[in-house]
Amino acid sequence: MESFMHLMTAFESILTNPISLIFVTIGVTAGIILGSLPGLTATMGCALLIPFTFSLPPIQGLVMLMGIFSGGIYGGSISGILIRTPGTPAAAATLLDGHPLSQKGEAGKAIGIATIASFVGGTVGALIMSFLSPQIAKFGLRFGPPEFFALAIFGLSMIVSISGKSILKGFISAIFGLLIATIGFDPLSGVPRFHFGNPNLLGGVEFIPALIGLFGFAQVFRNVEKMEIIPHVKSKVGKILPGRKETLKLLPTMVKSGAMGTFIGSVPGLGCDVAAFVAYGEAKRTSKTPEEFGKGSLVGIAAPEAANNGGTGGAMIPMLTLGIPGDAVTAVLLGALTIHGLQPGPLLFRDHIDIVFPIFAGMILCQLALLVIGLSGAKLFAKLINIDRKILTPVIFLLCIMGSYAMRFSFFDVGLALIVGIIAYFMEYGGFTVSPILLALILGPMAEQNMRRSLMLSHGDPLIFVTRPIAAVFLVLTVFITITSYRKMKQLNAKEKALMAEADADESLSE
Amino acid sequence: MKKIAAILIVLALFGGMISAEGQQDKGSSFPNKDITLIVPWSAGGGTDTIARALVKNAPEHIGVNVNVVNKTGGQGVVGMGAAMAARPDGYTVGMITFGLSTYNLMGLSDMTYRDFELLQLLNQSAAVLYVNADSQWDSLKDLVEYAKANPGQVSLGHTGAGGDKHLSAASLATELGIEFNYVPFDGAAPARSAVLGGHVDVAVAGIAEIKQLYEAGEVKVLSVNNVVEEAGFPDIPTVVEAGYDISAPVLDWRGLALPKGVDPEVVAILEEGFKKMFDDPEFRAFCDEVGLNLVYKNSAGYEEFLSNMEKVLEPTLESVGLLK
Repeated sequence: MESFMHLMTAFESILTNPISLIFVTIGVTAGIILGSLPGLTATMGCALLIPFTFSLPPIQGLVMLMGIFSGGIYGGSISGILIRTPGTPAAAATLLDGHPLSQKGEAGKAIGIATIASFVGGTVGALIMSFLSPQIAKFGLRFGPPEFFALAIFGLSMIVSISGKSILKGFISAIFGLLIATIGFDPLSGVPRFHFGNPNLLGGVEFIPALIGLFGFAQVFRNVEKMEIIPHVKSKVGKILPGRKETLKLLPTMVKSGAMGTFIGSVPGLGCDVAAFVAYGEAKRTSKTPEEFGKGSLVGIAAPEAANNGGTGGAMIPMLTLGIPGDAVTAVLLGALTIHGLQPGPLLFRDHIDIVFPIFAGMILCQLALLVIGLSGAKLFAKLINIDRKILTPVIFLLCIMGSYAMRFSFFDVGLALIVGIIAYFMEYGGFTVSPILLALILGPMAEQNMRRSLMLSHGDPLIFVTRPIAAVFLVLTVFITITSYRKMKQLNAKEKALMAEADADESLSE
Repeated sequence: MKKIAAILIVLALFGGMISAEGQQDKGSSFPNKDITLIVPWSAGGGTDTIARALVKNAPEHIGVNVNVVNKTGGQGVVGMGAAMAARPDGYTVGMITFGLSTYNLMGLSDMTYRDFELLQLLNQSAAVLYVNADSQWDSLKDLVEYAKANPGQVSLGHTGAGGDKHLSAASLATELGIEFNYVPFDGAAPARSAVLGGHVDVAVAGIAEIKQLYEAGEVKVLSVNNVVEEAGFPDIPTVVEAGYDISAPVLDWRGLALPKGVDPEVVAILEEGFKKMFDDPEFRAFCDEVGLNLVYKNSAGYEEFLSNMEKVLEPTLESVGLLK
């Protein structure tokens, strides 16, 4: 109740000074643009804008940065939906259904759903953050190496849900990803692995170029291949807002995914990307119509999108309460707070309640701004897809090159992204989905390092993973979810086979 | 029509490039264009934040902007390598950091400080040992006594194998004759949460990284692994004050350097300009705020410091099995 009063006062103080609203708007708009361009991330946007916030009052600077964060995570899905190239890793799950829907000519609707889901998820996240930050942060501290290991394995179990037709091939993709994830300097032993003497690989395969290769370049190659074969689908741009009934039906998924995303985001080391994949897997596992997933399911867009924006609020929690950033963007925000003389951590809540609650209120305002800007811009974005493929494809190609270069001004990364793109292109030919590679790249190092770290702590005793309750719970959950998802996938495949057989039979009859 | 327009645009671009080249040649006084500062760590990180704060008022001090460019990867090797290989015209300055003292010793790269024209040292920071506020140990003495009685049982979290924190703890352990169970984390933040959550017994960090928790009473700082007190934290005893004798501690450091072969006049101008930025009250205030221990050394002092650091690091790396 006390928190509620604080929050109301904070809203009042922000709204009486409308210039803050302008900064929210600038932040969210900049975030959406940066996020939608592959290779430019919210992290980069925040880092570049920090010097501009030096001279602003802390709250105005912070709401702008939080706007970039929220807008960036949302914006990534726009390019994911339209051109199957996620602007940010967090959007990689959204495109699984977003892109098929846009190919059906409903790009507008896909963006509309993504926007509403982002708003709902983001708001759930911001509210949880406003009222439960200290409690969640305290719980988060109980996560030590064994718990992180269990959590990473839990996240990896989502492979079953994102494998496409063949679970076996999904696992092969994931193992390929896990192997790539071992490249580079090993922070545990201090030994470089598989870098072939190349300092560019010493830090491992950089994540953003890999993302651009897996999705962006691969898509360009596919476009080139199909340029003349497949007729261009004109997208219906007109309908952006989904019907009220449809939205209400999706609302429980959005709220659930948003809350899940907030929790996952609040665990340091897990970010919005993992949140999105877990929410997608969970939505598919509990869905009554799992066969629609991967073909343009609305739930398949809403769940990951709500989760990744919920994750933004979640990631702020450990940063504000403990001074421990939840992900890369919040690490930058932490720097911004410090520059303004505000040291995030337990003291912030005690001494600067006048700053903490306006931050919460600002986060909520960012979500509102995101809804308004997103919906009004959706029409414009959706129109992009109607550009002739012969023009669009080279533009995407160029964007991919720029994006992979811009991360650390490195041509090595451009080459890396191209090679990954070629591999991904041929893998998809063979029926291998590439999303498990991405998930493995995110979670592989986390699983590996925390397993080794746990064993170091226990002097080599593997029982540490089952004697600690939280770790044990997550490992049991992993088994449960893997089995139920696996069954569901089997049923699904059987159903589809039956349908195909029926169709074949019909055909042969009519002949 | 379109074609003609395209040709015109291309010509205009070329023209622009040529005239830009020309301008560079004409100017004789250095600097006449913006200077690039290569930071080998990612945007928003500690080193990056310091770099950006340092060059914020650059136009006042050196007459042009200094733009921070992050070239990350390879534990800093990529960015420092880029600075080393840059055109030695003085327009590219590199931020070099602790890793440079270890690359060659660990077999990660052949690069050492000898491959650079050293400009100035920015900071020297000692590592501190800290424990959860509930810990049974209140002083370094308590910890050392316990560790001596239970060799290898005390788990010590650090921020990455071969990093300054790891090596600071290892060098201390060697000097004090104790043995830790080292648990590496991927950076300062995860190590910090492991201490708060009670997953490791003790951890090692830079004072800046735990300043807040220390002031809030969430952690106890046992000692600073140095022979002198950390500026601004007189309450934290040095290892010497805690009753032990160490000769040369491992210190984290950051500094500025140029590629070899820059005109001495240009070096002098840069030296003066960056010293002024270093003395800028705004930068000083920022460093106080984040708890960064600024230490200035000119190129000669800097070189001596780095040469001594290598001598300390060699046996330390050997003690943890990382010497190549």
